[in-house]
Amino acid sequence: MRHITTIEFDGVGKRAVDNARGRVRVAMAVFALAFAAISLRLIDLGLLSGEATDKRVIAAALDVAPRADIVDRNGVLLATDLTAISVYAQIPRVLNAHDSALKLAGVLPGVSSEVLERKFASGSKFIWVKRKVTPAEYDAVNRLGLPGVGFQREVERVYPHGNLAAHMIGYTNVDGRGLAGVERFFDEQLRKEGPRGEPLHLALDVRVQHALRNEIASAVEEFTAIGGAGLVLDIHTGEIIAMVSLPDFNPNEPGTIANNPELINRMSHAVFEWGSTFKTFTMAMALDEGKAGFRDSFDATNPIRISRFTINDDHPKHRWLTVPEIFMYSSNIGTVKMALQVGTENQKAFLGKLGFFERPHVELKERGAPLVPAEWKEINTMTIAFGHGLSITGLQLAAGYAAVAGDGMLHPVTVLKKPVGYKPEGERIVSQETAYKIQGLLRLVVEKGTGRQADAPSYLVGGKTGTAEKAGGGGYRKKSLVSSFVSVFPVINPRYVTVVMIDEPHGTKKTYGFATAGWTAAPTTKRVIERIAPMLGVPPSDVPTHPVTHDMMQFIQPEVRS
Amino acid sequence: MADARAARNRYRLLISKVMDLHGSMMIVLLCIAGIGFAMLYSVSSGDFGKLAGRQMIVFAIGFTCMVTIALVHVRWWWKLSYAIYGVGLVMLMAVEIIGDIGGGAQRWLDLGFVRLQPSEIMKIGLVMALARYYHGLTLDEVKNLKTLIKPALLIGLPSVLVLRQPDLGTMLLIAAGGATLLFVAGVPRKVFLVGAVVGVLGAVAGFYQLHDYQRDRVFTFLDPDSDPLGTGYHIQQSKIALGSGGVSGKGFMQGTQSHLDFLPEKQTDFIFTALAEEFGFVGGVTLVTLYAVLIGYGFLIALSARNHFARLMAVGVTTTFFLYVFINIAMVMGLIPVVGVPLPLVSFGGSAMMTLLIGMGLLMNVYVHRNVVLSRQGTVPLGRQGTVL
Repeated sequence: MRHITTIEFDGVGKRAVDNARGRVRVAMAVFALAFAAISLRLIDLGLLSGEATDKRVIAAALDVAPRADIVDRNGVLLATDLTAISVYAQIPRVLNAHDSALKLAGVLPGVSSEVLERKFASGSKFIWVKRKVTPAEYDAVNRLGLPGVGFQREVERVYPHGNLAAHMIGYTNVDGRGLAGVERFFDEQLRKEGPRGEPLHLALDVRVQHALRNEIASAVEEFTAIGGAGLVLDIHTGEIIAMVSLPDFNPNEPGTIANNPELINRMSHAVFEWGSTFKTFTMAMALDEGKAGFRDSFDATNPIRISRFTINDDHPKHRWLTVPEIFMYSSNIGTVKMALQVGTENQKAFLGKLGFFERPHVELKERGAPLVPAEWKEINTMTIAFGHGLSITGLQLAAGYAAVAGDGMLHPVTVLKKPVGYKPEGERIVSQETAYKIQGLLRLVVEKGTGRQADAPSYLVGGKTGTAEKAGGGGYRKKSLVSSFVSVFPVINPRYVTVVMIDEPHGTKKTYGFATAGWTAAPTTKRVIERIAPMLGVPPSDVPTHPVTHDMMQFIQPEVRS
Repeated sequence: MADARAARNRYRLLISKVMDLHGSMMIVLLCIAGIGFAMLYSVSSGDFGKLAGRQMIVFAIGFTCMVTIALVHVRWWWKLSYAIYGVGLVMLMAVEIIGDIGGGAQRWLDLGFVRLQPSEIMKIGLVMALARYYHGLTLDEVKNLKTLIKPALLIGLPSVLVLRQPDLGTMLLIAAGGATLLFVAGVPRKVFLVGAVVGVLGAVAGFYQLHDYQRDRVFTFLDPDSDPLGTGYHIQQSKIALGSGGVSGKGFMQGTQSHLDFLPEKQTDFIFTALAEEFGFVGGVTLVTLYAVLIGYGFLIALSARNHFARLMAVGVTTTFFLYVFINIAMVMGLIPVVGVPLPLVSFGGSAMMTLLIGMGLLMNVYVHRNVVLSRQGTVPLGRQGTVL
């Protein structure tokens, strides 16, 4: 450290300091004013005119209809409005068409400079250079600073989960009008609410939806099927917790969806003959009408011949079968004989009460009309008894199961979330006692019958398999199957109905070539239930079986193996 | 024996300096950076490593630099000030030349091991060089317009070079920062009056030199709602985002615009909109208040300094920081046209973060050495050294 004399704070130096301090205060005052301006603007935007500005700007900048969000039952965002930017050119203002076209093509992938130059020369005054560009592309075009090139903000409907619940949510066109799913059904409401309004709360649970879609997609792939579908329905409220139809689509790319019949909603729109899954209803009507009891037996020794048809069993026992045996072995012959006991008129009335002759009542426009026989003769009664000759949607099938295996009442199904403790209206289909018996029969199928592969240990699954041949070419095609499994779980005090349907599955080495429901839809159902039961808060059960199932064992002959 | 005592004294001095660091200023700084980390975490949809983690590393390095800079004796910064300015200027010219050779706009200088942005060095260098220049002048000399030539060159050269990059935002920061420093140094008011008149005339003249579309952008800025066909995109965008947040916002990570990747520059220049969307008016006001407190500290430090160099340096750094905040937020809210200036300590990006923390280091240095007296020749009189390391 050196010793140097210094100028102290007096005289000239003091003046400099005082002057500087004064000027620092002036600068402070200016900066404070600037902060005040920022704060006032913040108040202006955030508090006073915030929402008003928001809506006004959107309305001014767009002719696209803004819509409310769609969320799942837990508030997870399923559909929302986002602002997208499109690049346009006002051609009279473009200075150098060739140069502008080259530069734009250089920064916008998918835009060809030749095509663009032709458009510039086309004589029109306004063209779209590219719709819905990314922020990076927008930035790049902005940096080009080309005269005559501008941006339009547009509202884009975005589905963060992509394909996951495509059929349920649906999609919108470029004008922001709903074209499918709830987007279409609730179009008016969503537009009226607007993007800042109350979101549409669906009953859907994305976690369950994901598990269901994942398992059905695996099954479709494993069995090289043309499609598949699935449903999880809350028995007590009628809420659709998950609904899957495959193949599905990405609602973010509406251009790829239109008019593709493959993409039909296989759960609510397409109708199928469901085969043996239908026998549950025949069983329910026979038990409820008192036409049959567990002790009763029907002769299933020989096939039934009526006019040119023969009705056979898939697993023929060539003997009299008790009612539980008929259900367990899925005997067509036995079921037909029970239906004949009920009679055509009673059968028609029963199925009509279940709503099987009209479109399903649900908040979707994609609702298929059942194929009901024009004339309902005895032969129709016989085939419909085991699920042929009456085509309904999977949604109706599930609602029917919820009725006959639930509390005996048919409740409306809904895609909307219902409040806790919601008790839907309902119409009595069968007595509670009958429903209780059906539960026992469904459990029997899973414990001893064709649905053994659906037995998810400790979740007490009940259910029924169904393998139907698709009609076509003037008869039934042996190789084109609809394999389905409808489950009720837990089978004591049931809470959920699931439907798993595989459209035209093919057997694999693992299934010994079988493509029937017991080998395809049943194991898929098991995996689905194992995944969704914890999500739905269904506790594992320590009860091994349904009391009715236990009691009916006395009516079942031990299998004699040769 | 004497050596040991000297060493012990130096150690004690260091400790006393560390104890004298501006604690509450550091806390404000950490709060602002914390808001930045949270917003970066949110806009990257909960991917910690993508933005927030990297930003934290840069902040940690910058924070260490800041403390180190604060502890070095102020006279070393006095000595180095012209050299730092010189290095910045040479590198700006190097960028210009390389840019010419490479045939495109360039802002970076690749030194092999690190990529430097010379304009960032220049922001600090200019403040230091001007502070040193005016430190060496008496007030009478300052009033003499001849002494204005050198500072005009000091400001003008880098401004022109930066404007040629082209980087209007940085040029504004450098020029306005320099001008403020001149004002505080005591340059006559009439100079600023004349400068303002010339500036306005120049802007008007320049306006008529613009292309139609460029003029449109100015008109659009003046009345964004008159142009629904989109050139006012940024302005309307910010209104939507700020307005949609309402009073308390949509909640952390719940901003649809930022969450779903449709907000341009959402992690850099436009991060304030993400904040306003998710935390609403309350969030915006909180951040603006934190900035105001920090800038207020800067001025209080400038007022408390007992040497001219340090005071001017404090004003220069504080002004630069203020300009960052004001230009960014005013732009986002549509008060001024769009220029690319990040939000200090919040926007993603290492260069600006380092510059700002180095600047904060100098500011803290002024605070720690507020009682040091420095002669015009940059020497420290015995007994007036304050705490000297």
